[in-house]
Amino acid sequence: MPSCRRPFLRNALILGLVLASLWPGARGAAARDLTIGITQFPSTFNPLIDSMMAKSFILGMTRRPVTAYDADWNLVCLLCAELPTLENGLAKIEPLKDGGEGMALTLKIHPDATWGDGVPVTAEDVVFTCQVGRHPDTGVGNFEAFRRILDVEVLDDKTVVLHGDRVTFDYNDMSGLTLLPAHLERPAFAEPREYRNRTLFDTDTANPGLYFGPYRITEVALGSHVVLERNETWWGATPAFDRITVRTIENTAALEANLLSGGIDYIAGELGLTVDQALAFEKRHGETFKVLYRSGLAYEHIDLNLDSPILKDRRVRRALLTAIDRAAISERLFEGRQPVANGFVNPLDWVHDPDLPEYPYDPAAAAALLDKAGWADIRGGIRHNAAGEPLRVVLMTTAGNRMRELVEQVLQSQWKQVGIETEIRNEPARVFFGETVTMRRFPHMAMFAWISSPENVPRTTQHSNQIPSEANAWAGQNYPGYSRPEVDDLIDAIEVELDRDKRLALWKRLQAIYAEELPVLPLYFRADPYVMPKWLDGVRPTGHQYPSTLWVEEWRVAE
Amino acid sequence: MTAYVTHRLLQTLVVLLLMSVAVYGLIWLMPGDPIDLMVSANPDLTAADGARLRALYGLDRPFAERYLAWLQAALGGDLGYSRQYARPVLEIVGPRMANTLILVGLSFVASVALAFPLGLIAARRPYSAADNAVNLFCFAGISIPPFWLALLLIMAFSVGLGWLPAGGVPAEGGLGAEAAHLVLPVATLTLGSVAAYARFIRGETIAALRLDFVRTAQAKGATPWRVLTRHALRNALIPVVTVIGLHFGTVFSGALITETMFAYPGMGKLIYDSIMGNDFNLALAGLLLVTLITLLSNLAADLLYVRLDPRVNYEGART
Amino acid sequence: MSDAATLGVHTSLTRMMMRRFLEHRLAVVGGVVLVLLCGLCAGAPLLEAALGLDATEVDLFARFEGPSAAHWLGTDELGRDVFLRLLYGGRVSLFVALTAALAAAVIGTAIGILAGYRGGWADALLMRLTDTVIALPLLPLLIVLAKVDLAKLGLPAEAAHGEAAQLWRLIAIIALFGWTTVARLVRGATLSVREREFVRAAEALGARSTRIMLVHILPNVMTPVIVATTLSMGGIVLFESVLSFLGLGVQPPMPSWGNMMTGAHELIWSHAELVLYPGGLIFLTVIAFNFLGDGLQDAFDPRAARR
Repeated sequence: MPSCRRPFLRNALILGLVLASLWPGARGAAARDLTIGITQFPSTFNPLIDSMMAKSFILGMTRRPVTAYDADWNLVCLLCAELPTLENGLAKIEPLKDGGEGMALTLKIHPDATWGDGVPVTAEDVVFTCQVGRHPDTGVGNFEAFRRILDVEVLDDKTVVLHGDRVTFDYNDMSGLTLLPAHLERPAFAEPREYRNRTLFDTDTANPGLYFGPYRITEVALGSHVVLERNETWWGATPAFDRITVRTIENTAALEANLLSGGIDYIAGELGLTVDQALAFEKRHGETFKVLYRSGLAYEHIDLNLDSPILKDRRVRRALLTAIDRAAISERLFEGRQPVANGFVNPLDWVHDPDLPEYPYDPAAAAALLDKAGWADIRGGIRHNAAGEPLRVVLMTTAGNRMRELVEQVLQSQWKQVGIETEIRNEPARVFFGETVTMRRFPHMAMFAWISSPENVPRTTQHSNQIPSEANAWAGQNYPGYSRPEVDDLIDAIEVELDRDKRLALWKRLQAIYAEELPVLPLYFRADPYVMPKWLDGVRPTGHQYPSTLWVEEWRVAE
Repeated sequence: MTAYVTHRLLQTLVVLLLMSVAVYGLIWLMPGDPIDLMVSANPDLTAADGARLRALYGLDRPFAERYLAWLQAALGGDLGYSRQYARPVLEIVGPRMANTLILVGLSFVASVALAFPLGLIAARRPYSAADNAVNLFCFAGISIPPFWLALLLIMAFSVGLGWLPAGGVPAEGGLGAEAAHLVLPVATLTLGSVAAYARFIRGETIAALRLDFVRTAQAKGATPWRVLTRHALRNALIPVVTVIGLHFGTVFSGALITETMFAYPGMGKLIYDSIMGNDFNLALAGLLLVTLITLLSNLAADLLYVRLDPRVNYEGART
Repeated sequence: MSDAATLGVHTSLTRMMMRRFLEHRLAVVGGVVLVLLCGLCAGAPLLEAALGLDATEVDLFARFEGPSAAHWLGTDELGRDVFLRLLYGGRVSLFVALTAALAAAVIGTAIGILAGYRGGWADALLMRLTDTVIALPLLPLLIVLAKVDLAKLGLPAEAAHGEAAQLWRLIAIIALFGWTTVARLVRGATLSVREREFVRAAEALGARSTRIMLVHILPNVMTPVIVATTLSMGGIVLFESVLSFLGLGVQPPMPSWGNMMTGAHELIWSHAELVLYPGGLIFLTVIAFNFLGDGLQDAFDPRAARR
């Protein structure tokens, strides 16, 4: 029966191609509105509560954090007038009361920064935001960033001094600080426990006074779309579009269909298609749409449980890595858009060490390593050790993530070639991240990704005091159980080393140990595809956790 | 009549209450909780933060205590806040319900309007070519996987021909755009129900045609079409209406698939998303509301049955 | 009535039923299609060996290949043989459907006989239960049930999250809601059988009621059980596919027709055939079950109009 449908479908697809090729060209010149499709709807519009990409994405157009990393991975001022550094004197090391060293950062708010209702953004807002952020009952997600601010000192309306509790090389990164309008939000905070439910960001989302970015939210249809219009009080360049509508369509096939039918203009890479979908799309519609791929800081990897008798042996870990053809996976599944990772630091990061060992595909070497490690007896295609135990490992990941499930099956098949039997046991994301991984209950391997910012110190993932256990109330993300004193020392040293050259040397050593020890199997750096019409210019994917919408005023209609 | 209706309404309430315990229990048994989801999404959150947030939302208290607290609040009209949308549950459910009613209502009207002619054409000459065609169509309609049908329609009409939008609701464009967005979802929902109804109408009408008084009418020389529509159909109407009434509630379940496939913001999709997103309050309220509607539509079907068939009194109606 | 006479009536009745069933051409076609499908799926390992292929073997250099002599229906996104995967998927889908339908039939028959034979408050209670289950919004509840974490019920995590657990959980969930049609039909049949002479006689002889229900009533209500079970089978195949499609049923890497579409539906624009094949097979199976059930109903119950 399918065979009789195929000619029809093929014709239909051809017809679709013709229509699609006419459609966006016709509207390009006149476009003053932009409709963006993403796959998630934010659970709240309050900048401090929860943390999810859909919210960051939309709020990127309506407000600016104090600082952020830009598309070139440099820290830049967005709300501040000048980035505080030790060199320009706006950052100073000061003694703490308890004897240690802390830092004082002078934050100058941009002089023209004004809320959408005409009230200037002032020091008062900084004080209020820190008050909300530090309150234990508000349910604020990012507690840590606020805990580090000991005191906020107001110098004048537009200037405050933030007193931090430590000296670190990334002292001037204030990206976690996004301001709340004190003049509107203070009443909602009267009862901190109820703040979450009373915040105007959710009860009166279209209130112009909540935003100071190039756009402000004017309409919200829950679960469906958000409409943004130009904010007249914005101090920067005037954005090109009168209106931007962000539509949420979870189903990526429907998202694609909407792009073709003109229901949306652009599928954002932050929350859009998977790479293989985008590659297939580009092949069919590359003439009318352009696709930007940005490989970035999403580090796909497999955490190995180093407590397991099988994986304790470094030779086995190395064999696991050399037995898989990561280059072929990257090339065949992702057409090279997702580069193979040789470590946890992205090659685009300035601290990356280009001279790391690469572990290319070499099944013979893997077999030799396994022989040496005592897994020499091959029975029924599976290796056994002297005690007669089979070489059987469990690989887990989040159920329902199609790309990970595909890669899993490739790995399973390739490990089988060298005599390793792999059981795939996937769990819903909540169980997987909620219990299995965070409580180190995965028997051997857990596949997932870390998404970070540039030059992110891997303290929580590699320091030995960050191994989750009952004793430390499951704190930390060192799930493999990686414990090496030299690594601990390096992490401590990197954090406080203010000299870039000295820091780079420490970083290289840290990466070398990681590549030698292989507590984790590095797979590849995930790429986000940005699928947009040819007439849309100026979108610069960042490749890290800060969305491209933070520079929405640079988006233009091509002439 | 009043006593009967009161009795049935009370019964509905009991079922709802039992449902609320069961569903609350099941949701409690679902893996993880909203905080786990939050912690996993944010690398800066520590386990201690998780514990703090859990205590803040009362998620660390035992099941019975939480359920009773919920029930007490619910009886006072407070169904709590949705975690996914940070609004009171009722505020979210209202517009979604309206959307689903539009979708289900349109499909309902379309199916009934199509099913009667189809059923009667088939019943007029059983085992004729027309009957076989209708029959085949009906079997196809009830056998096609709804998500597959939705995909086929999207492939053909959205991407292939480019006539209709593939899903969602328009942010602008007025009534015309809204109607265009409804065509495919309504068509998907309708095909399944029209098949079920037409088969039933056909069956009941054929059975009625064998009744004595219908045969008498035939013998008296009434035209076949008149016999069919005046005598047989009227007699077949009673069971048909009942079944259609009973079916109305189950259409809501079908709407879950259709709404998900077409990204249509209705109740079905809301319930699905809230279950997947561990939005306890919203999932609970949504499930209970849909159950209530199903039970009420069954009650309505029963009452209609009694009205149409004077031989049945209220005490004797199926309870 | 002598035994011989009974036997005579019995055989002629069987023959008549057989004839009526065979007259229902679509039902025969449905039956043949199902036998073929089941045979093919059951023989998948043999076919696999005969073709010299491995259904789980990934070949990244042979993705999305068209039909060829080696791969009759081409290869999928990981270069695996689509035809073999469809057969393996069918094994899982049909196994779930048959097992769940059987379990539902057992539950429904037990409840139906109990209600019909006991009568009184037991009947009222059980039928109220049946009505309520019928009235529940099925799909959302199935989704909630499919999400329940068995580990929280005390099962060890290995068992609760393993492949087999997923499968049996799916079967249990479907059976839990699928028994109502059977229960209603069996109750009706029991009500009439209950009044028959041989039941009366057994009662008079002091047989225990359990024995009467099992020995005397059960064999005589098998006809509606068979018809209702066949008819419900199509619905169960649909439920399995819907749940697996939504990611709540059979989990990859184990293939089922439902979850083969989950993956492929993201590729409908480029590789529509990967959606068309499993969906078409689900459609074919469901419609075959419905034809078959319809034919059986006609054959067993000549008074009922073809519905």
